[in-house]
Amino acid sequence: MLAMVIDDSRAMRMILRRIAVQLGFEVAEAGNGREALDFLATSEEVPSFALVDWNMPEMNGLDFVTAVRADQRLRSMTLMMVTTEGEQSQIVRALAAGAHEYVIKPFTPDAIEEKLALLGVVATGADA
Amino acid sequence: MTDVMKVDDLQAITEQVWQSFLDPEGSDPLLLSLLEPSGGDVAAAISVTGAWRGHVVIGCSTAASRHAASALLGVPSDEVTEDDISDALGELANVIGGNVKALLPEPCALSLPYVVATAGVRWPAVHEICRLDGMWRDEPIHITVLESTSDYQGAAAS
Amino acid sequence: MALNAQEFSWVCDLVRRESAIVLGPGKEYLVESRLLPLARKAGLSSVTEYIADAQRRPVPGTTKTIVEALTTNETSWFRDVEPFTLLTDSVVPALTASRSGGTSMRIWSAACSSGQEPYSVAMVLQNHLPGAWSYQIHATDLSTEMLTRAETGRFSQLEMNRGLPAPMLVRYFDRVGADWQVSPVLRQNITFAQVNLASALPAVPPFDVIFLRNVLIYFDMDTKRSILQRVRKLLRPEGWLFLGSAETTLGLDGDFERVVTRKTSAYRLKSGYSALASA
Repeated sequence: MLAMVIDDSRAMRMILRRIAVQLGFEVAEAGNGREALDFLATSEEVPSFALVDWNMPEMNGLDFVTAVRADQRLRSMTLMMVTTEGEQSQIVRALAAGAHEYVIKPFTPDAIEEKLALLGVVATGADA
Repeated sequence: MTDVMKVDDLQAITEQVWQSFLDPEGSDPLLLSLLEPSGGDVAAAISVTGAWRGHVVIGCSTAASRHAASALLGVPSDEVTEDDISDALGELANVIGGNVKALLPEPCALSLPYVVATAGVRWPAVHEICRLDGMWRDEPIHITVLESTSDYQGAAAS
Repeated sequence: MALNAQEFSWVCDLVRRESAIVLGPGKEYLVESRLLPLARKAGLSSVTEYIADAQRRPVPGTTKTIVEALTTNETSWFRDVEPFTLLTDSVVPALTASRSGGTSMRIWSAACSSGQEPYSVAMVLQNHLPGAWSYQIHATDLSTEMLTRAETGRFSQLEMNRGLPAPMLVRYFDRVGADWQVSPVLRQNITFAQVNLASALPAVPPFDVIFLRNVLIYFDMDTKRSILQRVRKLLRPEGWLFLGSAETTLGLDGDFERVVTRKTSAYRLKSGYSALASA
């Protein structure tokens, strides 16, 4: 199972990688939206989800989300923005562009896991 | 010049950053104090431009910066590199700064973070809006919000 | 660093006296982790010192602070998810089908804590009640501090990150400073009041749904039974009871029947249980 972590901050990539690995995923990293799209164009496996920063050089997260959502081949990919952009209007824009979820930094690993569980990307811990 | 944010807001933001990234178990909280601001060895800052201009700075001792990198990045303390410290402090400045930006008049943009040795940093033409001083794992930490007082942006070394 | 038996038992006695809540053996880690931040804030280096201090100089404020630190839960929106799915998919349709013409649905959130549960229920009902129906949520808790927070409806960024789908966040909350404030449309159908479940419950009209989640675990067996007995009286015959995911009425109250779905369960009164298609 593959996950993507897309952020121009190496520190944030390390943090998000750790979370995805703990959830059992292999992780592909990219430093901006353009790099991520280049990876997706050649990757045989479509990632289950991508954690996407907003502000990045070359191609920002919003444009990346728009591009992915326009690509039929990638429609199974869950897109979760993870960003400091916290204004309501920004969240609305991201959801309108097709992001499935939105996490405002700072966050705990639990928060990311719960949101992924809500979207069916990972199993929940609770049993009946 | 009316202040656009209160120290309570900065405290709430900073505490949440600590709870999420640096002290998830609650065993090493950031203890804020009313002591005189102490010096620090290293600082990371982001600049804000647009409807509001200024900087958000996090400063601390070398030891604290090492602890922060270790906690944030999940790297054992004795394996932390200089790059790890720069990147970790820069990310902390970015997250705190991003949350401060949400309180500021719109529209504003954040710069990339930059890390400096505090001895070399000058902040000309700024007015301190608010600051937090405290101890984390027995090391000094301070967070400051500085507003530019003139058209001169007055950035530190980038 | 670990608490000794005397310290732990002093804290347990204090909590039991003030709230009837029982912290059993095995909860030492909870006491340690919940009291350590309090100790540090008081400028003390250990929970042992903090307890010694509180024992030496009993101050009402400290007692309250200790009790609240130990009796509040980490809570998230739509906690455990599946009960809210059951509410949406089965409970609301069953209740609205059983009473024609529409009327008002009454819900009790009996340990509402900082408010995520009643507001989560409100979000479900806002979106899934048929047009002729209105709803009223009664949110209660032992802690007045929690009730004030719940009534204010203002949550930190961290709290908002826990289990709340982003589309609901933008729809029902507004950014206020560094926090988020619940919107009036969600707030207006909720009343808040202090209720101690271990005492006599106020006389109110019965409820269609009662949420009694993750609070029974703190009580001893006898108190659990008496709480369920009193709660049962406030449930309408066709009503539903939700407990926490690790809880059950088994062995406590034979009047409830457990309704199990794929991933969760809820309880109905045997006497009122009609042969509806299983949830």
